[in-house]
Amino acid sequence: MTTILVVDDEFLITDILVDALEEEGFRVLTASNGRKALEVLHKEVPALVVTDFMMPLMNGLELAQAIKANPDWVQIPIILVSGAQGAIARAHPDLFAAVYDKPFRIEKVVAAVVETVGARRGS
Amino acid sequence: MPHELTRIETGVEGLDAVLRGGLVAGSSYIIQGHPGAGKTILSNQIAFHHAASGQHVLYVTLLAESHERLFENLSTLAFFDPSKLGNGINYVSAFSTLRDEGLTAVVKLLRQEIGRTKSTLLILDGLLNAREKAESNLDVKTFIAELQGHAAFAGCTVLFLTSSRLDESSPEHTMVDGVIQLKDEVFGVRSARRLQVRKSRGVKAMHGYHLFEILDRGVVVYPRLEAVLGQPSMVDSPTTARTTSGVADLDGMMGGGLQQGSGTLIIGASGTGKTTLGLHFLAQSTPEEPALHFGFYETPERLKLKARSLGLDLDPLLASGALEILWQPSTENLLDGLAHKLLEAVHRRGVKRLFIDGFGGFERSALEPSRMVEFFTALTNELRALNVTTLGTWELTDLFSRQIMAPMPEISSVIDNLVTLRFVDQYSQLRRLLSILKVRDSAFDPSFRELAISGQGISLPETFGGSEHALEGTPRLDGRTRS
Repeated sequence: MTTILVVDDEFLITDILVDALEEEGFRVLTASNGRKALEVLHKEVPALVVTDFMMPLMNGLELAQAIKANPDWVQIPIILVSGAQGAIARAHPDLFAAVYDKPFRIEKVVAAVVETVGARRGS
Repeated sequence: MPHELTRIETGVEGLDAVLRGGLVAGSSYIIQGHPGAGKTILSNQIAFHHAASGQHVLYVTLLAESHERLFENLSTLAFFDPSKLGNGINYVSAFSTLRDEGLTAVVKLLRQEIGRTKSTLLILDGLLNAREKAESNLDVKTFIAELQGHAAFAGCTVLFLTSSRLDESSPEHTMVDGVIQLKDEVFGVRSARRLQVRKSRGVKAMHGYHLFEILDRGVVVYPRLEAVLGQPSMVDSPTTARTTSGVADLDGMMGGGLQQGSGTLIIGASGTGKTTLGLHFLAQSTPEEPALHFGFYETPERLKLKARSLGLDLDPLLASGALEILWQPSTENLLDGLAHKLLEAVHRRGVKRLFIDGFGGFERSALEPSRMVEFFTALTNELRALNVTTLGTWELTDLFSRQIMAPMPEISSVIDNLVTLRFVDQYSQLRRLLSILKVRDSAFDPSFRELAISGQGISLPETFGGSEHALEGTPRLDGRTRS
């Protein structure tokens, strides 16, 4: 089963993403900020990370940079869902496979996850 | 010299005045009010003001509502600057930390986050949820004390927002340095928002209720006029100099015109010529001695038309900046909002000649008529200290009453000069009668004059000379009724 890590401090967003991704047949792990996401990554490497930008302790950009700096994780595609920082994220195309602005359409994010993970499998 | 506490400006119009300089840096405050009272807008406005000065703000929610929802609601307000999101103001949710790990974990998270973001303002929205998570009052106290402690060491000011109705004995209130309460209350069919500083350690905030509004530019607080101007903003320096009322005959009756910086009240029923007198007064304005028309009845266009029919042309005065007309329909006004607008306009243009048409517009906007005397006292004292010569009207409801009722005895006493206008019937004709009841510290002509209005303006002929009973409304010559 393919595992996805969802990182967001807002539980509502996490819950919605978890439900939708589980319905698609993914196994979903969650973390409420970047630093907690790194703790999860040390235990288990997911197929993809969906992260928020503005979070306590470590934001989405810092998390993405930490992931790309680790040779074990560098291949993990990252999707960013963000309110106001979409532009900052788009300035780093090397870090993010896709960027979605909040409020986002859940099916689009799910479709992007399926496409990215699927494409990666095929490559 | 007493120690001065370092302050943080809130940037909210009127609130810094109520707090006598702003929030005390490093202190903690509760902002409380039921949902919809304006807590979120007020605290975000403070956050954006703080961030605009280059400082960092940490905005933490313990609520279920998403930040996107919050941004959407704030986006209609002028102070909202999306470029500050995540870049000056960090919005983070501690809801799942609270739910899964408890209050101690929230304190730890925030302590780390304050240090990491170098925030000097922490706003914690949803204190009620922390209380619900707490097992005892002691837990609540510990939570607040720990957060306060960490924040204070980091030089960070804290605002706790809560929708619960906390009283003075609640653990929350006993812990914090200040409590600001917001209310939205119904008065008859209208409602009004009011702010009250219920606690402020180390600072003599203006006590009592202050009206506020939420406008496109955010929260605007109108400090209660009699609290702000209990003493006028500057020392009154009365002179004996006179200035023209705009009606030569009236100047003559009053001993050479109106005293500079005095307040004159014209009392009379509708149609007796109060506004007409005021227009003559305003027509004497110059760019050096500018005038302001602050009225509740006629629109600027109607006033110009009325002036033209009296042979007065307001257009050149308006064009040269000698005159400004501020019209506020007497609908749902806020009493202190009106005073604020009036005094702002006086200061902005250095107004020396002010016509208020009429004082009843203020009275109607009052939610508690019992404070009108204090309100008018503060307003007239301030106008006097600013050396603004003021003419105001008071409309009487009874067109032909034999009695002339002073609107409020206390108001008459703070007014320097009192002029009454009334209708009288003479020779089957309706005439307007003018009489002066009072001119402060000056002799005046106490005779009854006719207020005659023509295309050339006002004159005050001695039509009633030799008549008796004129004040009763039916002047008689030699005791006989002539009709």
